[in-house]
Amino acid sequence: MPKNLKGREVAEIMQDKCIACQICIGVCPVGAISMEGNTVKINPEACIGCGKCRDVCPVSAVLFKRPSKKKLTFPQQKPAPLEDYKGVAVFIETHNGAAADVSWELAGKARELADKLGVRVSGYLAGAGVEPLAQQAISYGCDDVYMIDNPAFGSYIPRVYSTALVQLCRQSKPEILLIGASPLGRDLAPCVATLLETGLTADCTGLDVDLQERLLLMTRPTFGGNIMATIFCKSHRPQMSTVRPRLFKAPRPDPTHKGEIHKIDFSYPQDRLPHILEFTATALEAGAADITRSPVLVTIGKGACRAEHVPMFQELADMLGGTIACSRPVVEAGLMSYARQVGQTGKTVTPKIYIGIGVSGSMQHMAGIQGAETIVAINSDPAAPIVQAADYSLIGDYREIVPALISRLKNKVANLAGSKP
Amino acid sequence: MPLHIICCIKQVPDTAQVKIDPDTNTLVRTGVESICNPYDVVAVAAAVQLVGKHGGKVTVISMGPSQAEAALRECLAQGAQEAVLLSDRSFAGADTLATSYVLSQAIRKIAANEPVDLIICGKQAIDGDTAQTGPGIAARLGYDHFTYVSQIFEVKPDEKTIIVIREVEGGRVTVTGYLPALLTAELDLAVPRYASLPEFIRSLRQGIKTWQAADIGVEPERAGLKGSPTWVKEIFTPPVRKGGPVFDFSRDGEKAVDEFVDQFVVHEAGRIAAILSVKA
Repeated sequence: MPKNLKGREVAEIMQDKCIACQICIGVCPVGAISMEGNTVKINPEACIGCGKCRDVCPVSAVLFKRPSKKKLTFPQQKPAPLEDYKGVAVFIETHNGAAADVSWELAGKARELADKLGVRVSGYLAGAGVEPLAQQAISYGCDDVYMIDNPAFGSYIPRVYSTALVQLCRQSKPEILLIGASPLGRDLAPCVATLLETGLTADCTGLDVDLQERLLLMTRPTFGGNIMATIFCKSHRPQMSTVRPRLFKAPRPDPTHKGEIHKIDFSYPQDRLPHILEFTATALEAGAADITRSPVLVTIGKGACRAEHVPMFQELADMLGGTIACSRPVVEAGLMSYARQVGQTGKTVTPKIYIGIGVSGSMQHMAGIQGAETIVAINSDPAAPIVQAADYSLIGDYREIVPALISRLKNKVANLAGSKP
Repeated sequence: MPLHIICCIKQVPDTAQVKIDPDTNTLVRTGVESICNPYDVVAVAAAVQLVGKHGGKVTVISMGPSQAEAALRECLAQGAQEAVLLSDRSFAGADTLATSYVLSQAIRKIAANEPVDLIICGKQAIDGDTAQTGPGIAARLGYDHFTYVSQIFEVKPDEKTIIVIREVEGGRVTVTGYLPALLTAELDLAVPRYASLPEFIRSLRQGIKTWQAADIGVEPERAGLKGSPTWVKEIFTPPVRKGGPVFDFSRDGEKAVDEFVDQFVVHEAGRIAAILSVKA
């Protein structure tokens, strides 16, 4: 059977049998088959050896040896028995050679779970120029760091990252794999889970273990945050979960903690991979900061959706070191961009202080601010749902309340900042 | 060259209509309408726009009970050309792994007759919010995928290339890739239009194919509840936030603000200081 340059076994068409019906061209998932003149050709470098062309060929003109039962693009491996899977693994997300905060938050949580289960913590570190992070991962609680340091990981390409993680999981067989529920993690995790044919629970806000059954209990909000569900994955390993950032506190790094670093070789075909043309930081765009990271959010609702008052809201936000966010009607009215929308169809936020001005507090909006530490409502309607949930409510016209608030808070805030540096 | 785009959609309960019963603290779902997932409506709108520009066809598929046909008709009214319902007893109770399996099997069947250039899904469904099915389908088919797409910058059907803009942490990236590919749509990817009367009538009259497990080569033990590794242990309502003090400005005037600021600064001193020290 022919192999391509990557050593992969590829399909070949026997020209004397081929009737040029072109059915195989249609089923090829990677577009490796094409007509050249009157004959059908397979590009061996693009072929992924899935054998689909062989399965559909009406005249058996495709030379490909893998048994036709294996129809999957990615060969399925027979799962190992559950007890072969040991340990808690954490994916260490990196951006430009630095670890994302959520990685260490998860390392801390993994340590806690692993100690309960009596197993080791592994860090999966894949990136470009990430070698210095391996030692850092150990200080945050990892016992083993599996490191792939490869330029192919310079930017996030799902197929590259997921292939790497699948390889690491098959090698080290963790019983639990935690990934941050960042945009990257929520993109990566489902690919890995699908390729490993295991269960994945998205966006968890709570993790625990059932020691008797040796199961990970994953709690997540569902139905727009209106109900919580606790999910488990009984007969597949690893038990996978993406976990919300800023939920668990990162542990204090312990430089004396010992661990092993395993360098892993990884090669991946470079052909036909997507690549990043440009990255634009949102912060550069008209001062729009990332509302999911801001410690204070001054949130504009339908009741305060007036362009002339935005400078006033900005002053309040600036004074507290915060950012302006908004509810959905404000985006629909065109006053703010979608990037600033809080709520079920916008972003879930976890500020220390949330100030809602003219926000009524629909269930969809409240679902997005459940993680706020302190909620302040400024609203003309004492019966508004947000008033029922807010830690402090100011009832009245925001046009009078906000200026009064700014003038009074100014001195106090300056004092606080000075007294506790 | 014309494009063939498949959109995967889901019928969901309209979570905007769901209320919480204040006495029992449970969801009141009675009388709640089923709608086509809003992100999926945007996905279909984006597909229809692309086909409007390049020619071709939009096929919409959905896995669900027979009632899900209504959501498919909504998409036909939006301008999709064909709709297929994947409905079988064995599909019920599926988690995202089993769902992506059934959908990918249907896509393989469709692609065998009409090669697929692009799959567009909503970024997530509003009932589950998992955002896992789209990437799962891509992984099964071996396609490249791009999630959280807010703009399709360019599609070149002849060269089989695409450039999209994705919303990522801290910004947006412009990324180029090859077709066939799978995209998941942000809410601002496209603006769904209102159906014209003739389109609406067509959507009601058009036949919708129903495929069962055997039609798409689905092994029943890999679909539905049987094929789902994740199970729900329990469901509960989150602890309700208790409201705090209310300061009535419309009654007490500026005194209300004074009282609020006094309490706020005392109780939240730690938080404010922490925030400002980070800022400095």
